[in-house]
Amino acid sequence: MQLDDLTADLLGATIRRALRHGGDFAEVFAEDRRSLGLSLEDRRLERAAGGRESGFGVRLTSGERTYYSYSDDLSETDLQRAADAVSAALRGGAGGAPVTNLGAVAAARGTAVVAVPPAAVATDVKAALLRAADDAARAADPAVSQVIAGYLESRQRLLVANSLGALVADDRTRVRFTVNVVARRDGVIQTGYESLGKSLGFEILDEDVAQSLARAAAGKAVTMLDARPAPTGPMAVVMGNGFGGTLFHEACGHGLEADGIAKGSSIYEGRMGDLVASAIVNAYDDGAIAGEWGSAAVDDEGAPTQHTVVIEQGRLRGFLYDGLRARDKGVAQTGNGRRQSFRHVPIPRMTTTCIAPGEASVDDIVAATDHGFYAKSLAGGQVEPASGNFVFGVAEGYLIEHGRVTAPLRGATLVGNGIDVLKSIDMIASDFEVKSGICGKDGQAVPVGTGQATLRIAAMTVGGTG
Amino acid sequence: MIDAVDRLLELALSRGAAAAEVYAEQSVTRRVKVFRGAVEELTSARRKGVGLRVFQEGSVGYAYASDLADESLREIVDMALANARVADHDPDSVLPAPREAPAAVEVYDPGLDQATDEQRIDLALAVERAALGADPRIKSVDESAYADGDAQVFIANSGGVRGQFREGHCYAYAYVLGEQDGQIETGLSFTVGRKPADLDPQGCGVEAATRAVELLGATKPKTTRTTVVLDPFVSASFFGVLSSALTAEAVQKGRSLFAGRIGEQVAGPGVTLTDDGIHPDGLASAPFDGEGVPCRRTPLIADGVLQGFLYNVRTGHRDGRDSTGNGVRGSYQSMPGVGPTNLVLSGPQVPLAELIGGIEHGVLVTNAIGIHSGANPVSGEFSVGISGLLIEAGRVGQPVHEVTMAGDIVSMLRSIVALGDDARWVPGGSVLTPSVVIEGVSIGGA
Repeated sequence: MQLDDLTADLLGATIRRALRHGGDFAEVFAEDRRSLGLSLEDRRLERAAGGRESGFGVRLTSGERTYYSYSDDLSETDLQRAADAVSAALRGGAGGAPVTNLGAVAAARGTAVVAVPPAAVATDVKAALLRAADDAARAADPAVSQVIAGYLESRQRLLVANSLGALVADDRTRVRFTVNVVARRDGVIQTGYESLGKSLGFEILDEDVAQSLARAAAGKAVTMLDARPAPTGPMAVVMGNGFGGTLFHEACGHGLEADGIAKGSSIYEGRMGDLVASAIVNAYDDGAIAGEWGSAAVDDEGAPTQHTVVIEQGRLRGFLYDGLRARDKGVAQTGNGRRQSFRHVPIPRMTTTCIAPGEASVDDIVAATDHGFYAKSLAGGQVEPASGNFVFGVAEGYLIEHGRVTAPLRGATLVGNGIDVLKSIDMIASDFEVKSGICGKDGQAVPVGTGQATLRIAAMTVGGTG
Repeated sequence: MIDAVDRLLELALSRGAAAAEVYAEQSVTRRVKVFRGAVEELTSARRKGVGLRVFQEGSVGYAYASDLADESLREIVDMALANARVADHDPDSVLPAPREAPAAVEVYDPGLDQATDEQRIDLALAVERAALGADPRIKSVDESAYADGDAQVFIANSGGVRGQFREGHCYAYAYVLGEQDGQIETGLSFTVGRKPADLDPQGCGVEAATRAVELLGATKPKTTRTTVVLDPFVSASFFGVLSSALTAEAVQKGRSLFAGRIGEQVAGPGVTLTDDGIHPDGLASAPFDGEGVPCRRTPLIADGVLQGFLYNVRTGHRDGRDSTGNGVRGSYQSMPGVGPTNLVLSGPQVPLAELIGGIEHGVLVTNAIGIHSGANPVSGEFSVGISGLLIEAGRVGQPVHEVTMAGDIVSMLRSIVALGDDARWVPGGSVLTPSVVIEGVSIGGA
């Protein structure tokens, strides 16, 4: 059976079967995903791999308990088997919540139009972009010793039906291009990375785009060859735009996801309305920004995505909810119930998380900093939501001396605590930019975006080797 | 499943592939998460899929599918052949010849599937109970879970390699929050085995609680250069990151800091690192790897001297040597790469108490975060966030947090001066390691 063969009748019967011994809510999530990945390294296109996977998951919730069963066989037999598996946990029960009849499938209204479906473009055209990136990075500087370029496309078609009567279909296309450059000189090795990812089609890429990503990645790697070891200790930190948004994602965003709030394992629990950041900070999560990598028309429970204000003038205003935690709290879903695939239960996750831009210019911020560290690009990080402690690596960093950006610095990590750092943000520039990334939580990887302008943190700990 | 494997191999050859390899897997997995004495999430799953690698005119193409119907198999044959047409010619992409018998290692215990759902739930509850009961300062057990997997792996290639095995494993873990005076610290512990009876839920819960509670009252230490003791959890993360630089692929592609250093002293004397794909207790052990090559033991560092690298068939062919059985695959959806199996760090071991007793100033590091973003296996630089306990005059005392630890991996390896006697398996990367003492490491705090 294919995804399109799943009728409202069959889905409805599966939901009823799942609820027959009890439960508050049941859902079927089915998907069909095709993807293609190409990667080039060592001047050769060495990996060309694609495939198709399909499957479904049946979820039953009863109070705070969740029962889940999935299979990659889209068959009536396996749907029944999964419904039986989840309902068995409540056997002896007297029957669950009433099931609202499913109507016709509602197609989610897309946030953006895919102009050129990737599947309609010949594979060698995609391969040519990787070769163009390789050539451009190598031509950028003789120190470039290796280029790893990747192209990824996916089309995920999904169907979600639940006992509340939702029956929603979505069709998501994503394209991503990445370039990793290794530069080597006099025994020193450094790397540089750039990427472009959108929930759009092949129209986002062409030779110029591929080359400019490659040159930018090469520039970072080569610049860092001359870097000296970063200093260690507390100092003013100017955080770059785009990838710098990893700061907010790690330092605050994870703590706003409603599962941690429900369990009391987030430092933001019980702090609604409190000042948790400097008064110049306004922040939001937005899964509906047209065409963004972290966007989709609906989340993975079929709920529409939206713009959710989380911090307004430094005060905590909102959390990010999936259906389960929203129903439990009696609040509205925010379209943040996301999952990696049918093999996972949906949990509250960020989409594109942003700190709103301010009015300063980057030059103003640097000029106002007598001594500090300029973290122009971040490499990724990690947080413990319970303590708010976070860490992230700096991919491209510089020293700021007497209001000027001077020497490149390597090997730095920033550590701090979420609320402390957000409270020390004292300047925000206007150069807002969104970058794409992959976020991992509970063993599930989902596409996310970080949006931020350049900003300054009055003091935080830099860990270098100098 | 074996039937679908044979059909796919035949189909690939009949549709024009010069050579082909089929890798398939079929598994059942179960997971139970508990919270406050009740089931929070119970998951059961069936999974299957097949991946096809075709070789045509010196190029390789790959395709996979979860649907094993004939139409789907035809579709992936066509896709793999189309992908081979776009890939560049690669003289080193070859199939392994059927030479040796698979390694004799048992990686499935029937005790795994004799467990009932009730027993699985009880295990997760026992972990949570042990953690909550360990100390009054335990605020909650954020996650307490039991999970297991029973998988069958099949491989067949047109050169005559054919094999299958069944693998089973289970584990439980607790992630615990301790609280004191408004400060929250976290602790994590695991217990792993081939069957539920191998697990120690009590020990796991208590250890996770202890690891959280011992950090309560943590302050930021002064920025300094000092001796650090990495406990087995932290050591395992470091060696996990390091291992990517020990693959022949990283060396051949100019992104290994160990390239050209075979025979050189790269680590402190006594330090021995081995990739052991057939260790009876290693969860990454298997009769053969993702290309059907028998798993084995490969010395990487012996007494501090670099011995060699990890190879799959392709990187081996390029260097004119055999695969070391390290052709790893994430799943049926990926082509075989090169990576470690079980990493075993060994050497002369000294009782941990004696080691700590000999340190005037230092830090016992019990937790490191950001290792994957903060350690760069290409440049060798690392800078990570740590927490742990200060060592003063040979005694462990004041907890510290929000500290950075930075350096370069090679200098750090060379500065390993001793290993503890507390070697244990740490899952994730599957590393067997004791505590490691390293001198002269930069830490950043207040």
